[in-house]
Amino acid sequence: MDDTALPHSTALHPAVPAPRLWRPKAKTGLVSWLTTVDHKRIGIMYGLFALFFLLVGGLEAILIRTQLAVPNNTLLTAHEYNMLFTMHGTTMIFLAVMPLSSALFNFIMPLQIGARDVAFPRLNAFSLWAFVAGAIILNIGWFLKAGAPAGGWFGYSPLTSREFNPGSPIDLWVMGLQILGVASVAASLNFIVTIINMRAPGLKMMRLPVFTWMTLVTSFLIVLSFPAITIALVELMMDRLFGTNFFNVAKGGMPILWQHLFWVFGHPEVYILILPAMGVVSEIIPTFSRKPLFGYPVVVFSGVFIGFIGFGVWSHHMFTTGLGTMATAAFALSTMIISVPTGVKIFNWIGTMWNGHLRMKAPMLFALAFIWMFMIGGFSGVMHSAAPADAQQHDSYFVIAHFHYVLIGGSLFSLLAAIVYWFPLIFGKITSDRWGKIAFWVIFVGFNTTFFPMHFLGLDGMPRRTFTYDTNMGWNTPNLISSIGAYMLAIGIAIYMSHLIYAYFKGPKAPRDPWDARTLEWSLAAPIPEYNYAVIPTVHDRDTWWYEKQHKEEIARERKAHASEEAAHGGIHMPFPSYYPFLACVGLLVGGLGVAAVPFGHKLVVAIIGLVIALIGIYLWALEGNEGYHLHPSKEELES
Amino acid sequence: MFHPKDSSPRDLIRRSRRLGSALFTALVCLALSGCSSWLDGPQSTLAVDGPVARAQLNLFYTTCYVILVIFVLVGGTLAYAMLRFRARSKADEHAEPPPQSHGNPIIELSLVVASLGALVFIAVPTIKDIWFDYDVPKAERAEALQIVATGHQWWWQFQYPQVEVKLPYGGQAPLATANELVIPVGKPVHIELRTADVIHSFWVPKLAGKVDMIPNRANHMWLQADKAGYYYGQCAQYCGLSHAVMRFRVIALPEAEYKAWLANQVKPAHTVTGPEPAHVEQTVFKHYKQNQFGFSDKWMATSPTSTLNLWRAKQLPNPNEDPALIAKGRKLFQAKTCFACHTIRGHEGIGVTGPDLTHVGARSTIAGGLLENTPSEMARWISHPNLVKPGNIMYESGYIPNHITFQSGDVAALVAYLQSLK
Repeated sequence: MDDTALPHSTALHPAVPAPRLWRPKAKTGLVSWLTTVDHKRIGIMYGLFALFFLLVGGLEAILIRTQLAVPNNTLLTAHEYNMLFTMHGTTMIFLAVMPLSSALFNFIMPLQIGARDVAFPRLNAFSLWAFVAGAIILNIGWFLKAGAPAGGWFGYSPLTSREFNPGSPIDLWVMGLQILGVASVAASLNFIVTIINMRAPGLKMMRLPVFTWMTLVTSFLIVLSFPAITIALVELMMDRLFGTNFFNVAKGGMPILWQHLFWVFGHPEVYILILPAMGVVSEIIPTFSRKPLFGYPVVVFSGVFIGFIGFGVWSHHMFTTGLGTMATAAFALSTMIISVPTGVKIFNWIGTMWNGHLRMKAPMLFALAFIWMFMIGGFSGVMHSAAPADAQQHDSYFVIAHFHYVLIGGSLFSLLAAIVYWFPLIFGKITSDRWGKIAFWVIFVGFNTTFFPMHFLGLDGMPRRTFTYDTNMGWNTPNLISSIGAYMLAIGIAIYMSHLIYAYFKGPKAPRDPWDARTLEWSLAAPIPEYNYAVIPTVHDRDTWWYEKQHKEEIARERKAHASEEAAHGGIHMPFPSYYPFLACVGLLVGGLGVAAVPFGHKLVVAIIGLVIALIGIYLWALEGNEGYHLHPSKEELES
Repeated sequence: MFHPKDSSPRDLIRRSRRLGSALFTALVCLALSGCSSWLDGPQSTLAVDGPVARAQLNLFYTTCYVILVIFVLVGGTLAYAMLRFRARSKADEHAEPPPQSHGNPIIELSLVVASLGALVFIAVPTIKDIWFDYDVPKAERAEALQIVATGHQWWWQFQYPQVEVKLPYGGQAPLATANELVIPVGKPVHIELRTADVIHSFWVPKLAGKVDMIPNRANHMWLQADKAGYYYGQCAQYCGLSHAVMRFRVIALPEAEYKAWLANQVKPAHTVTGPEPAHVEQTVFKHYKQNQFGFSDKWMATSPTSTLNLWRAKQLPNPNEDPALIAKGRKLFQAKTCFACHTIRGHEGIGVTGPDLTHVGARSTIAGGLLENTPSEMARWISHPNLVKPGNIMYESGYIPNHITFQSGDVAALVAYLQSLK
C-alpha cells in the first residue's frame, strides 16, 4: 500500500499490515470518479445522470405530444407510441426524479447534519453504480431489435406475461427495475444510518433541517415499500422464465395480485417522489423569507404522518378493479385523510412567508410555483378520492393532468429550485438570477399550457395510453394546445440547463452563504474540502447557521477548542476510494443483461458470469476492510 | 414580480392588480367560450344521460365546489402573502430581518380541524355514491336487463343471457353480438364484466364510469340510459398494441324499437340466393393510409340523437343487393376459412374466436368501433387487417398465421355477403 499519493495523510493502523489489494490512487480523472466514495462526488454524478435521463424522458414526452398534436396522426406507430409512454413513465420516475432527489440527499444531507461522509461510503458508491446498471438495462432495448419495454410503467399482468409479451423487452424492464430497487434500498439504509448516527453534537432530531427529515422519511418509505415490488417482479420473472403460475390465468393465477403488490409499492413511491420536494421547499421558503419555518414540529410530523398513511391508500389506484363497496369506501376515506397533512404543510409555508421579507430570487419563484402547482395537483387528488367520481376520471387525461401537476409542478419544480439554490455550494459559482427567472417563466407557462387543458380532455372522455384519437371526439383543440405547451416547456428546460452550464463555466465565483441562509451547509465555502468540516460543528439551534451568524464570538471560541480536541485524536479520518463497488455493479449489469436480453440457452451462462463478477467484487470489498487514512487540515483550512 | 426601479411600490401594486384582473377576465372568457366546447364531445363525462353517470357527475361537482372554496381561501391568502410581504427593493432585501417567530399552535390546530370538516362534505356523498353505483337498486334488480360483456384484444362481445338462440349445429346459447351493445331506454342494465385475455376496462362515459374486466375476477357494473341515443365507449385500461382503437358503442332504443331489434337479432342470418357470377372486378382502393379516420363527415355530429339516426339508417334493408355476388361471398366465407372463427347462425360460420357476424350488416361500425360499416371500409379492413388494427389476430398475424390471399373480386364478394347480413 502506498500512502504517498495521499498528501497530509497517514494510514489509520500502520501497525497492522493491510492485505495486498489494489487501491485506486488517482485523485482526479476518470478512475477517481469511478472509484470515489466521497458523498459529494457521488451526489454530483447522481445529479448528472438524472439530468441526462430527464432530457431522455423529456424527448420521449415531446415525441408523444407531437404524435397527439393532431387526430389520426401517423408520425408514430402504435408500437412505437406504447414503447415511448412506457419508457417515459419509467424513466421520469426511476431515472430522473428519484436519482435527482438522491443527488441532493447525497450532497446536502451529510452537510446539513455536520458529517464528513455518509455512514457507509463504499455502499454509497455501490448504490450509484447499481443505479447506472439498472438504467442501462432499462434503456438498452432502444438499441435492440426487439425494442424497448411496452407494457406500461405499471407492467400490469397478464399483459406482461409470456403469452402476451413473449420478447425480451419485458425481461429488461423487470431486471432493470429489480437492480434499481437494489440501488435504492442500499442507498436508503445508508441514509437512515447516517442520519440517526452521524449527526453533529447538539443536533437533536427536532433540530434536523426539514430537508434531512424528509430524507429520513423518504428512506424509510423506500426500505419498506420496495420489497413489495421486488416480490412482484420476482414472481413475474419466475412466471416468464420458469413457467410458474403466479399470474398465469389459465392455471388459476391472479392478475389482481400484481396490482396490489405493485401499488403497495407504487403509492409510497408517489411520496418518495414528493417528500424530498417538500423538504427542499421547506428550506428555500424560510431562507428567502428570512424567517424560520412556521410550525417546524407540525411540518415534520405531517411529513412522517404522510409516510405512514402513504402505506394505507394504495387501492385508490384500483378503484375501478371491483374492490367492492366496503374496501372502496375505506380507501376513499384514507385517501381523503392523507390530504390533511399535505394541506397543513401548505399552511405552514404561507405562515413562514407571513410578515417575512420575501426575496423573489429564481429559487424562490420555483418554490412558490411549487406551492401553487402542488395545490392544484393536490386538489385534483382530493377529487380522485371521491371513488365514484374517480370512476370517470381514472385512466383518463384528467389523471394525467393531476399527477403531472404533482410530479412536474410539485417534484420537478422544487428540484429545479434546489439545483439553483445549492448550485453556489456545489459548484462554487453563482447562476444568473435573470436567466433563472426567464427559464422559470417559460417553464411555468409551458407547463400550464401543456397540462391544464388535459383536465378538460379527461372530463371529455379521452383515455390515457392511446396512440391516436379520432377527429370527431372533440379533443382536437386541447390536444394541439397541450402539444404547443410541451414545446414551450422543452424550451424552458433548455434555457434552464444552458444557464446552469453557462454559470458552471463562466459564472462569477460564489461567495460563502450567498442567500443569507439558515442551515449548517451554508457555513461552508465552495469548493467544499473532501472532509467537509475542518472542525465538526456544534449545533445550538434549529437554524444553526443563522444562530452562528448571530453569535460569532461564541462559535469561534467553541471551534478552537474542538479543533485542538480533534487534532489530539489523530486528525480527520477519511475512507479510501475503492474499485470494488464499481466491479460488483459491472457484475450486476452483466448478470441482468444475461437474464433479460440474452436468448434462451445462453441465459444461464451469462447470468452466472455476471454473478461471479459481482461476488468477486463484493468479496474483495469485504477483504479490503474499513480502514482509511487521516488528514490534518492546515491552520488556514481550520480557520476558513 | 418584475418591477422597474423607478416606480413606487404603490404604483406597482396597482399595475399588478390591473394585470391580474385582466388575466382573470381573460381566463374566465376562455373558460366560458373555448372550454365549454371542449366538454361536450361524444364521450363527455359532463353531459351525461344516465343515473349512474349523473350520480358520479354530481359528486364531481360537489368535490369541485368544496375545493374551489378552499382554493379561494388558501390561494387568496398565499397570493396576499406573496404580494404583501415581498421585498420591493435592494434595500428592502438587506434590511434587518423580520421577527424570527416560530409558529402558532392554535392557528395550526384550527386549520387541521377546518380541513377535516371540509372533507366531511366530500366524504358523505362519496360513501352514499359508492353503494349506489355498485349494483342496480334493489327494487329494480329483478327486472334489470342482464348482459355479459367480454373484452378481447381488441374488440367486445356482448351476450344477452336472458335471450337464447339456436346454434348452427344444434344446442342453445345466449344471443351474442359484437362492439355495439343495444339496450332499452329507461331500464337498468346489469353487466357482468369478463375478459378473454388481458385486462380491459368498460367505459361509456355518458352512461357510467368505468369498471375493469380482469381475468379470474367476476366484476360487474350497472348503467341505464335515460333517453334514446347512440353512446360512445372505449377501453380505458392499457391492453396492448391496439388499445387506443378498442372502441364500442351503446345504443339505447325506446322499448318497442328495442323489441323489434331483438326479434330480428334472434333470427338466423338473412339468406339471399342467386346464381354465382363468373367474374367480379376488384373495385376497392389501392392507396392505403395507416391510422386514417374511418368515418364519413356525417359522423362529426356529437349529439347522441343525431348519431342514433345514422345507426337506424343502417338497419334498413339494402335495395341494390346483388344476389349473385352475395352467393359468391358466402362461398368464399367458407373457402377462406372465415367460418372457423366467426359464427353466422343459419349459415356456415361456427367459430367463436372472433365476433359473431350473424347480423353484422346492421351494425354501424366494424373493427371494434374503429371504422364505419360501409362497403369500402369493410373492404379496407378485410384486405389489410393488420394495418387497420396492428396486432389483431384476424388472419395476418394470428396464433397460426394462415396466409389467406384474395383473388381479384374476392373481397368485393365477401363485403357484399357480409353487408347483406342485416
